Amino acid sequence: MITSSQPHKISQQFDKYWMIFKIQLQNSLAYPAEFFWRSLAILLFMWVFTQLWQVAYSTTTNGELAGLTLNQMLWYLMLAESIELSRPRFARNIADSVKDGSIAYLLNKPYDFLLYQMGSSAGDSVLRMALNLVFGSALVWILVGPPPNPKGYPFVLVAIVGGWLINYCITCLIGLTSFITEEVAPFEWIYQKFIFILGGMMIPLDLYPVWLQNISKALPFAYMMYGPSKLFVVPTFDFFLKLIILQVFWIALLGTILILAYRSGMRRLAINGG
Amino acid sequence: MLDIMGIFRELKFLSALWKANLQSVLEYRGAFIWQMIGMMLNNAFYFIFWIIFFNQFNQIRGWGLSDMYIVFGITSSSFGLASILFGNTFNLSEIIARGRLDYYLSLPRPILIHALASRSIPSGFGDFTYGILSFLVAGVFTWSAFGRFFLGVILATIVFISFMVIIQSLAFWMGNTTALGNLFMNAMLTFALYPTSLFDGPAKFILFTIIPAGFMGAVPASVVTAFSWQGLGLLLLGACVLLITSILVFRSGLHKYESGSAIQVEV
Repeated sequence: MITSSQPHKISQQFDKYWMIFKIQLQNSLAYPAEFFWRSLAILLFMWVFTQLWQVAYSTTTNGELAGLTLNQMLWYLMLAESIELSRPRFARNIADSVKDGSIAYLLNKPYDFLLYQMGSSAGDSVLRMALNLVFGSALVWILVGPPPNPKGYPFVLVAIVGGWLINYCITCLIGLTSFITEEVAPFEWIYQKFIFILGGMMIPLDLYPVWLQNISKALPFAYMMYGPSKLFVVPTFDFFLKLIILQVFWIALLGTILILAYRSGMRRLAINGG
Repeated sequence: MLDIMGIFRELKFLSALWKANLQSVLEYRGAFIWQMIGMMLNNAFYFIFWIIFFNQFNQIRGWGLSDMYIVFGITSSSFGLASILFGNTFNLSEIIARGRLDYYLSLPRPILIHALASRSIPSGFGDFTYGILSFLVAGVFTWSAFGRFFLGVILATIVFISFMVIIQSLAFWMGNTTALGNLFMNAMLTFALYPTSLFDGPAKFILFTIIPAGFMGAVPASVVTAFSWQGLGLLLLGACVLLITSILVFRSGLHKYESGSAIQVEV
């Protein structure tokens, strides 16, 4: 039964995490110089990618690789790189707070720990993503011409959010492994390389041998990187629909595992002193 | 006159520091082994990119997969060696900006080398080992090539550390430059890990001057694969110039150093 006070409560809950999002956004702006230097990294990567793929494309006869032109390839890589550079990396923060016990200060506050991480990491991502897109697009536009048809952009935005949620679940899970292991950094490194290779961040999956394409598409990483980036350069409704269905599947699966892992972690947690 | 005894004394001091660092790293043996294996897996997964790429294109302006194994091997091992022996190379700017140089200034030892060698990063062992494995699978193994590989790694390590010291010393003038330092480190590693034949004209000039990645990847690799005295001379010259420049920049920065008035015990 839904009572009249329920929508109000839901709105209050949402306001809480919205505030956390806004505070994190303001924190990001507190060190503009650092933010600026970090945003320049995309120029470096995109310039190197351009040099590499220009040479690679010069060896083709029809100017296409796996159905992508040089222009599409570089816009694909620009979006994939922007998503990667804006991806929140909070697994180590969770791990540190578990190890030093400071997680206690987050747990006794009137908010849900997992939703707090979501609001906070979203605030961290948004501005970074915007700046990466601005710098990356400017360079790629100068080097290989204009971006793909803007009609597909709203769908791409939805797909980016879906991919972001998959990353959020996996990053949280990596952070929570600190309940059972001392060091989570290697999980983060390997996860990042899965995104690079199996996610299609450095090279679109279409260029892989079929067996590796099949493996990649059976894992969640492709729906964080390859999916949104391919949709950006080849926007079709069919592809969007397939992508969203698979993203929802992975979010539901990983989200369930995350909640179970979190509950199990809380049972293991022992905080001494105060 | 060259103070041989003085150099010997400092080397003894350095080896004592490294021994203490190693003991500290091995204190958490499980975490150490996991970080080492994790870093090796990390590098191996990254390298799959080049395997897929060269599976499609065979060669890029004369560079093939075997060349990439060697470049990757030298860059990885030299990065690892820097992490193991001079782990504070990566956060020197933070030490400067937070006034933590006070500790090193208060002791009768060379400040820069003492600061750099006071920390060891466990994952560096993974990078160092992976680099050697990468060389071994490149298919160019001879004992002579292995010797040249190690020489290349040592000189590339000097190049990398010197470059990082120059960049991180900007903290003397600009305050905390962690993000800037990370940007330049990424640039150095990215360029070192890509075939230099991709870059021509002004870009190539940059790779041997402002961001001397050529001296960390391509030139040491050429010493391994196609040895020439000229190539080795160029690498030695690059390493010496960068090393001297880094010492001069750091010393010049020290005059600008503002103490944190926080002499503390470094753990």
